[in-house]
Amino acid sequence: MSDAPTLTPEKRAEEEQLRAVWANPSGWRYWTSVNNSQVGLWYGSTAFAFMLFAGLLALLVRAQLAVPENDLISAELYNQAYTLHGTVMMFLFAVPIFEAVAIFLLPPMLGARDMPFPRLGAFGFWSFLIGGVFVCGSIFFGAAPNSGWFMYPPLATSEQAGIGADIWLLGLSFIEVASLAAAVELIVGIMKCRAPGMRVNLMPLFAWYLLIVAGMIVFAFPPLIAGDLLFEMQRMFDWPFFDPERGGDPLLWQHLFWIFGHPEVYIIFLPAIALLAMIIPTFSGRPIIGYSWIVLAAVGTGFLSFGLWVHHMFATGLPQISLAFFSAASEAVAIPTAVQIFVFIATMLAGRVIFSTPMLFAMGGIAIFVMGGLTGVMVALAPFDWQAHDTYFIVAHLHYVLIGGMLFPVFAGLYYYYPLIDGRHMSDKVGRFAFWMMFCGFNITFFPMHLAGLRGMPRRVYTYPADIGWDWFNLISTMGAVVLGIGMFAVVVDVTLHRRRQPKGEVNPWKAGTLEWISEPEENWGVRSIPHIESRYPLWDHASLAREVKAGEWYLADASEGRRETLVTSVLDAEPEQVLRVSGTSYMTIVSAVTLGTVFVALTFKWWIVSLLSGLAFIAAVLYWLWTGTGEIPEKDEKDIGRGIRLPLYSSGVKSAGWWAMFITMTGDGTACASLVFGYFFFWTIHEDFTGGLTGPGVLWPMMALALFVLAWAATVVAREVNRRGGKTAARMLLGLGGVLSAAGCAAALAGPWTTGMYPTAHVYPAIVWILVIWAAVHGALGIIMQLYCLARSYAGRLTPRYDMELHNVVLYWHFMLVTALITFSVVGLFPEAI
Amino acid sequence: MWRVLPKEIESLWTLFTAPVVWALHFLACYVGAAIFCEKPSFLGSDFDNLRIAVASITVVALAMIVVSALLAYRQWGFGTGDPPHDEPTHRDRALFQGYATLLLSGLSFVAVIFTALPALFVTECLR
Amino acid sequence: MRESSARRATVLAVSSLSLASCSGVQSALDPAGEEAVQVAALFWVMTIGGLLIWSLVVVLSLYASRWKGRPTSETSAGKLIFWGGVVFPVAVLTALLSYALWLMPSLRPFAGGEQASLRVEVVGHQFWWRVVYHLPDRTAVVSANEIRLPVGQRVEFELTSADMIHSFWIPVLGGKMDLIPGRTNRVSLSATKVGTYRGQCAEFCGTSHARMAFPAVVMKQADFDAWLDSRSRVSVGLAMNPDGRALFKRAGCGDCHGVDARETTSGKGPDLSHVGSRLTIGAGFLPNEIDALARFIAHPGSVKPGALMPASTDLSADEIDQIATWLKGLQ
Repeated sequence: MSDAPTLTPEKRAEEEQLRAVWANPSGWRYWTSVNNSQVGLWYGSTAFAFMLFAGLLALLVRAQLAVPENDLISAELYNQAYTLHGTVMMFLFAVPIFEAVAIFLLPPMLGARDMPFPRLGAFGFWSFLIGGVFVCGSIFFGAAPNSGWFMYPPLATSEQAGIGADIWLLGLSFIEVASLAAAVELIVGIMKCRAPGMRVNLMPLFAWYLLIVAGMIVFAFPPLIAGDLLFEMQRMFDWPFFDPERGGDPLLWQHLFWIFGHPEVYIIFLPAIALLAMIIPTFSGRPIIGYSWIVLAAVGTGFLSFGLWVHHMFATGLPQISLAFFSAASEAVAIPTAVQIFVFIATMLAGRVIFSTPMLFAMGGIAIFVMGGLTGVMVALAPFDWQAHDTYFIVAHLHYVLIGGMLFPVFAGLYYYYPLIDGRHMSDKVGRFAFWMMFCGFNITFFPMHLAGLRGMPRRVYTYPADIGWDWFNLISTMGAVVLGIGMFAVVVDVTLHRRRQPKGEVNPWKAGTLEWISEPEENWGVRSIPHIESRYPLWDHASLAREVKAGEWYLADASEGRRETLVTSVLDAEPEQVLRVSGTSYMTIVSAVTLGTVFVALTFKWWIVSLLSGLAFIAAVLYWLWTGTGEIPEKDEKDIGRGIRLPLYSSGVKSAGWWAMFITMTGDGTACASLVFGYFFFWTIHEDFTGGLTGPGVLWPMMALALFVLAWAATVVAREVNRRGGKTAARMLLGLGGVLSAAGCAAALAGPWTTGMYPTAHVYPAIVWILVIWAAVHGALGIIMQLYCLARSYAGRLTPRYDMELHNVVLYWHFMLVTALITFSVVGLFPEAI
Repeated sequence: MWRVLPKEIESLWTLFTAPVVWALHFLACYVGAAIFCEKPSFLGSDFDNLRIAVASITVVALAMIVVSALLAYRQWGFGTGDPPHDEPTHRDRALFQGYATLLLSGLSFVAVIFTALPALFVTECLR
Repeated sequence: MRESSARRATVLAVSSLSLASCSGVQSALDPAGEEAVQVAALFWVMTIGGLLIWSLVVVLSLYASRWKGRPTSETSAGKLIFWGGVVFPVAVLTALLSYALWLMPSLRPFAGGEQASLRVEVVGHQFWWRVVYHLPDRTAVVSANEIRLPVGQRVEFELTSADMIHSFWIPVLGGKMDLIPGRTNRVSLSATKVGTYRGQCAEFCGTSHARMAFPAVVMKQADFDAWLDSRSRVSVGLAMNPDGRALFKRAGCGDCHGVDARETTSGKGPDLSHVGSRLTIGAGFLPNEIDALARFIAHPGSVKPGALMPASTDLSADEIDQIATWLKGLQ
């Protein structure tokens, strides 16, 4: 350890104190940790476990398809197996694994001690674990979802889908909440918690990619959540959103699902490529060439990916002009994708490449991914897709892009970053064996599927006839799957068995240049002190940096108040702005996840009382969490972070991390509301008279509701201003008034369809109106809880004219509520009546 | 013209200007075509009107992207500093932003043209 | 020498395997219809181009990582990003997209009633196809689970669904189109080669989605006219084997299955008019033989899991055989 520093007694004491503050609790209380190192590890291991489970399901599928007219498993079990394989891989592995990697890797990479909201990340993990076990466990009861991983109605809304459809819907909605929480953390963490001096042009590319991906999650997941809501309302209460006999349309689900589904695959792909953007420069021995091109590619892909969704619907009979727009956008997205590949090639060209195991996985992954990308360019053209859609050609394409573009890079990342986990190395020998087995096995499995598909083999078939000419393709695919499985199993063996016998080695064996490589696996504090950054590759350009950081010579080297702290810096130039105190251990994350999980599980089985009680318990848990753990008034105004800089310990409004979190969350929430409004206009578009001749909610009640919500919003805004100027009593009265007005607004919202006798089960028009007003009313109710919370905080002296971050965040919520109310009530009250 | 627009753009949001224009253009084309084809009573049934509408908003979108590109070019110091912009200075950070925004404008320009191409070839609301 | 001749043999074997492996009754690469021919050509162009591009990228990567001598200059590497990652893709994609957009309208022309000589209505069910041939003189011929077309004519298909989303696909003739409840989709196909092909449902529609297929027979115009003519009349086999026919009625089969070539109102099960002369039973996967018929009648769920047809628990094996024989006689 050449950069082990020699310390003075004071520095040693400081180090001990820092270590103590960041230490993990012992015994079973270890599980209450919220530190990113633990949460990231748990998240990643859980995701891997789910992946292996889904892989076994795939082997089952391939075993059944090995020979024609096979009866190894029944049709019903087969349909559950392939559905669960896709569902688990997409929702329980592909997205969570990168969340895990980000939570583990980003703080050290950015020079932060932890994520900005550690408990939120931990809550996300526990939700993921509970939801995932619930979904995976279903197949052991023969109750797994069985209608494909995208669950098209009317099949999935019918009884044939069984309780599996509800498990799919509710289990996944729960996990989507976790993903949104992760997105909030990532955006705030990347934008606001970088080390001083790490300007946006110096930020590691992994961070750029994850910033874009987190933004994509905020806009892509809510349409699915909205769709899930409509879907479950139809399954539970027979609200006819997708029932054509009552004005509904199965195509609405397809739109909502794929508006999520297409960005989703890029959400899966971009973080994996981000790993390559870190790995390839290291093994080329030089900085990346085309940093700005990568930013172009990430942002470009992120945006363009939202304009592709109908290419999953080319065969549904939509007008050709519409299909053509999506063919065009689907082709356009290949450009930023190609840019990334050429950035990697260019970097290698200008460097000297070392073919380590991570590099092997990286190159193999690129070779596979490019093939998948090219077949993607092919199916992007509607005429060709009319032949290839829903055949094994698509199965081949999707596996080439996902396994080449995501799985292989993840394995490259595993081999690359493993030393950061516990100082040991993965085995090169096993790694190379695993790579060749996986690479060959993968191609043997999936290449023949291109031909099988164009030879006429559709997807999702539990068997096939013997005389069509698919026999050999399927047998070869099955054999390849076994080889692929052996390769992956070898990695599992390496991770679980091999490493225990190894001595600890160098933490940075690859001599990489980015900041995460000075982290110390045996310490929990992230970095010993937070450095000032002046380069994209600080370890290459600043030789003594590691030593200085470990000697505690940089910022925030102490924990003299006994608290866990990290720095908040400005967005563009990373100028220090605030010291952020983050939480240590917490039980509330587990309690909240369990109560919320119980709500969803109980709803699946229609245990309404249990669900309601759990819901109340969840709200109580969250309020307790917020009350005890946020908005803490610090004991002093500022803290000395070292080198002559003093920073505030508290901020409210635009500068505070909590405000950002609210903004991002509400943007996602607003997107979900917009998706419901999209549904409303979708029905208007496809029907001559989408009201079905039924009465609407009238104009009066919706306008009353709008007016009341406007007043409630105004009261809240004024309360914040009044409080700021010292008028505590007046502010409290205004908050109370705001709550009353909001309650009246909720009542008025529901009164509209209620008094005009709109029955949601009769036709889609009453159903969609009811959903919109219920959404507004629920959000109004949430607004009341927030107003009362601020009221209580004010009385308890935890919210003062000076320390008022809760009020700022609640006012921000009410801004979004105002927009929601404006749009909702104008739409249901004035359209189409006023036209 | 330079006086109307801000002197210096100190925000990360400007990076997204051109892609947002693309997104709005795409939405307008798609939603417009969808409503046009589904509800002939609402927007008329002369497909050429749709093509002209697509062409018009394409011209507008391209113009907006060109403006964004010019602003980005300005932020990039009119091409004075070649990449990599990896110095730890405010100047290099601004140059990086300008350059990346310029690249994105180029991509968005191409993407808008791609989106508009269908209007050249498709001549009716076919099923 | 031995090495190169071994290599030559391998290449020959692989290429003949691949060529041979393209043909098939359900193969989009063995086209027998106008749309399929165009798309197959597009496919070959894209595949050859794609393989070339892929090889180029792989070779470049290998050169950059293993084979090159000294590191290239940063400027040259940067130029590669622009030319390889932007200019080349934009050029290729623009050309490809333009070609496909130009092709689209002609591939699926909207065959209005006056253009199409024949209109075939297909209604998707779990797990069978209702097929009604609508003739210009307003008459209709009802059938199920088999499509017959005249060669060289543009036939319009009107696609709806009675329950779930299905997809109608005859790969040798053209691309697929979904059958969506609440919508009527239209697609037109024009066959270019006489032959017997196969179509299959291509949208997961339930447990036996894999068992929902159909033979697609393309015939010469005169043969087709004759076939259609005979199918518009009641089968002579109806009167034969009266015991079987009586059992058919007694067991209630007629509640769901029509047998006399009229457009039945029930439509709960596939129309069985002239079923004896169909190429397959059970929607494309069982041979049309008496014992296959009997097996199906006895226990449809074992042959086709999830089928809505109830098992014939109150009929003896003998009785079922008689029904099957009678059905086979409905030529």
